[in-house]
Amino acid sequence: MLDFRFRFLFALTIVASSPGLSHAATFEELFRTGAELYRAGEYARAARAFAESAAQRPASGTLQNLGNAEWRSGRTGAAVLAWEQALWLSPFNPPARLNLRFARKAAQIEAPDLTWYEVVSTWLPANWWAWFAGATFWLGIATGSLPGILRRPRTVWHQAVAALAFMLFLLSVPAYVGVHTRSASGFILQKDTPLRLTPTAEAQAITRLAAGEPGRSVRRRGGYLLIRTHRTLGWVQLDQFGLICGNVAGL
Amino acid sequence: MNQALIFKRAVLRGRQPILPFLLCLVLFPAPVGRAQPAIAPAQDPLMSMMLSQPRIDLTSPVMPTVAFDPPVIAPGQQSIYRVTFNALEATIEWPGKIPAPAELNLEPGAHGEILRLGPAGFEPLSAFNTRVQASAPGDFTVPEFTVNVYGKPVTVAAARLVVRPSSAAPLQAPLRLLLELPATNLYVGQPIRARAILPGAPGGIVQGLAQVQLSGEGFLVDLGGARQRFEMAARNGTRSATYVYEATLTPMATGKVRVFAQGFTTAGFSSGPISILGNVPTPIGTPRYTLLESDPIELKVRPLPDEAEMAGFTGAIGRLSIGPPKLATNVVRVGDAVELTVAVTNRGDGPLARIVPPPAPRVRDWQVFKGTDVGLPQPTNPGPGDTQQGVTIFTYNLIPLSEQSQTTPAIPFSYFDPARSAYVDLTIPPVPVTVNPGSTPSESLALVQAVPAPEGEKDSRLSGLAPFPGRTVRSLVPAQQRPWFLLVQLLPAAAFIGLCLWDRRRRYLEQHPDVLRRRRARRALRRNWRTAREAAHARDASGFAAAAVNAMRVACAPHYPAEPRALVGSDVLALIPHTGGSGSPDQLVRRFFAVTDASQFATVVPDATELLALQPDLERVLQQLEARL
Repeated sequence: MLDFRFRFLFALTIVASSPGLSHAATFEELFRTGAELYRAGEYARAARAFAESAAQRPASGTLQNLGNAEWRSGRTGAAVLAWEQALWLSPFNPPARLNLRFARKAAQIEAPDLTWYEVVSTWLPANWWAWFAGATFWLGIATGSLPGILRRPRTVWHQAVAALAFMLFLLSVPAYVGVHTRSASGFILQKDTPLRLTPTAEAQAITRLAAGEPGRSVRRRGGYLLIRTHRTLGWVQLDQFGLICGNVAGL
Repeated sequence: MNQALIFKRAVLRGRQPILPFLLCLVLFPAPVGRAQPAIAPAQDPLMSMMLSQPRIDLTSPVMPTVAFDPPVIAPGQQSIYRVTFNALEATIEWPGKIPAPAELNLEPGAHGEILRLGPAGFEPLSAFNTRVQASAPGDFTVPEFTVNVYGKPVTVAAARLVVRPSSAAPLQAPLRLLLELPATNLYVGQPIRARAILPGAPGGIVQGLAQVQLSGEGFLVDLGGARQRFEMAARNGTRSATYVYEATLTPMATGKVRVFAQGFTTAGFSSGPISILGNVPTPIGTPRYTLLESDPIELKVRPLPDEAEMAGFTGAIGRLSIGPPKLATNVVRVGDAVELTVAVTNRGDGPLARIVPPPAPRVRDWQVFKGTDVGLPQPTNPGPGDTQQGVTIFTYNLIPLSEQSQTTPAIPFSYFDPARSAYVDLTIPPVPVTVNPGSTPSESLALVQAVPAPEGEKDSRLSGLAPFPGRTVRSLVPAQQRPWFLLVQLLPAAAFIGLCLWDRRRRYLEQHPDVLRRRRARRALRRNWRTAREAAHARDASGFAAAAVNAMRVACAPHYPAEPRALVGSDVLALIPHTGGSGSPDQLVRRFFAVTDASQFATVVPDATELLALQPDLERVLQQLEARL
């Protein structure tokens, strides 16, 4: 009897988890739904659908469309953040880059100030630099030391490959560092966000920030984030600042 | 004469010329010139106008009136719960939720303010409407509640609504405003003509409307083109006098947009010029202000498609046509300006909204500047069948930069036709022109033309949607900040360290070969030892003896070093400590070797059974040999 019950429950679990009976929409279905809603003019609902799709599986196209829907809904900060995240994933996305330029021109907001190594890090997707640095480093180590370990004659091309690999590794280090520093950047989500002197609700507001204005997170305390903007340093609430890598809790 | 003589003598004497002068003034005062009359300061005309207006009565006690309109309805029919205050609307804190019985379904309606001229000046009148429906018959009372007006609490009295079954006696038809729209499926920016209609009773006096508004969010109303009129119109089979208010409505937000009309009834009065068409009994008497509203209409507003937008689109929606472009003159000189005009006519049913001329094109041989556009006035008294057509003139000033030009540049222009849901090209065509050399040097014209073009048009609008999501990732956090990335990088490190350790061990073993020999010898010794035990257990004496001898040979081989098979008994004896006696290891080794040698080389195989009893001694010998490895 127990054996029959176990087999029945096991079969039920297999059937219930089959794709045909799953009720949760996939990220592709949400993407298509969002596109249909956008074309019908329902921008707020389209933005929600694109956001859910991006939450499941972030992709550059999804984030670009999310930015478009947020812009049409009047949420400038969320639109700028979404486009920046699209470029974070894939710098080879000209529409997202043009949209950012258009939005910054229309809303009169500045682009983030990037150091030279951060600019280099924008040439390729963020994850590529880490893998590239790791691969070239270990390739250099391997081609330089493995022939000796395996008692193979060390040829010229071994040394050339090792030298080339180390050179590429050294060249990728600035971009690797740039990705790391750029991951702390973010954008103000709501308009007229007060930048406070201390991380409290009653703290004096140093200035007010426009939606889409860039900043760098420095540290977190409770429900507040210390950010550095073009003008000054101050505290904002967590839900008022969107990080480009979407990881506020990790700070 | 006397004055002059006295003064002359005083001056000639020169002693105190001033004293005689003053004396003269006192005795013979000269006729004093009249001072200029004081000019009153000019009064500010705006202030004068403000002061001449009757004052607004803000001090009278606030007396709200409340009523259901109509007070008796059938289930499912709508009534308006109307509360009117003699106070400014901005000072009334109207509650978000009105206390009402649960059977009544309340929905906020129109609210507005009007000024009524009374004996003490202007009396503000503010009305708040709430749409009420009941699902079942009965008597319902909205209880009294308090509203803050001018910061003080004011009580709104209770009001009663009777809901009678539909089969009861016919109910009074309420006075309602009607809103008519030619279409409800629109595009953003598509103007339509909205009509707010107040029908009068058949044969009765029609009331006008004041403060007419189209209320809602997401659209603009062009009040400049609003018109109102009284006319006789057929409705429900009967002709009656009807008040009509028309205005142009342009949706600006996409999605669902709700709009309704509201206005204060004014029996006998209306604001603004009004036309009377036909034999209409016009109202007379003192104005009674009641805030009426229409049922809301929901518009479905779609965005203009981005994908097929044409060059020169500046937001014009409808059906347009352009006339032939006209140049002020067809013969020009290089550097001289010539004016180009083109008439754009509205051919559609919708009103002519403000059309923005297309931007001036940047071409190599011409400089083009946008002039001012002139729109001809709309017809002021259109009949019921008139379409709202109009003409707008686009003007451009063109300066030829080269005498090689033979035509003016084409100016891209397009509009969106909502009927076809497509953009239509209406590019202003080039006009033949003769360009003669001018006095302006061509180098300066080249410098003018060298001004960098502005950033492309692609910066000026949003891109379309991406057709596919693209390559997906697990998270936006960069790989280097995720814990597993560090582990992945440690894997090759661990492999490399392992390889280095392995190579080091190999070099050590190469430099110390006896280590390997001894290790192999220990393995072989254990293997043969195990075989000897198994043979002894199986009472296989010859096998036992052979395994024992092999074990002794492999245990001694590394010490020489030599191949184990090449060793004999004396070689083994050399490594075993000598103790003498019959039970000594020497005897044991000799006996085992003798038996195995005899079994190999002798013609008669000796009996090795007695060797089985020597197993304990053999174990001791083998232990000694193992200890030496």
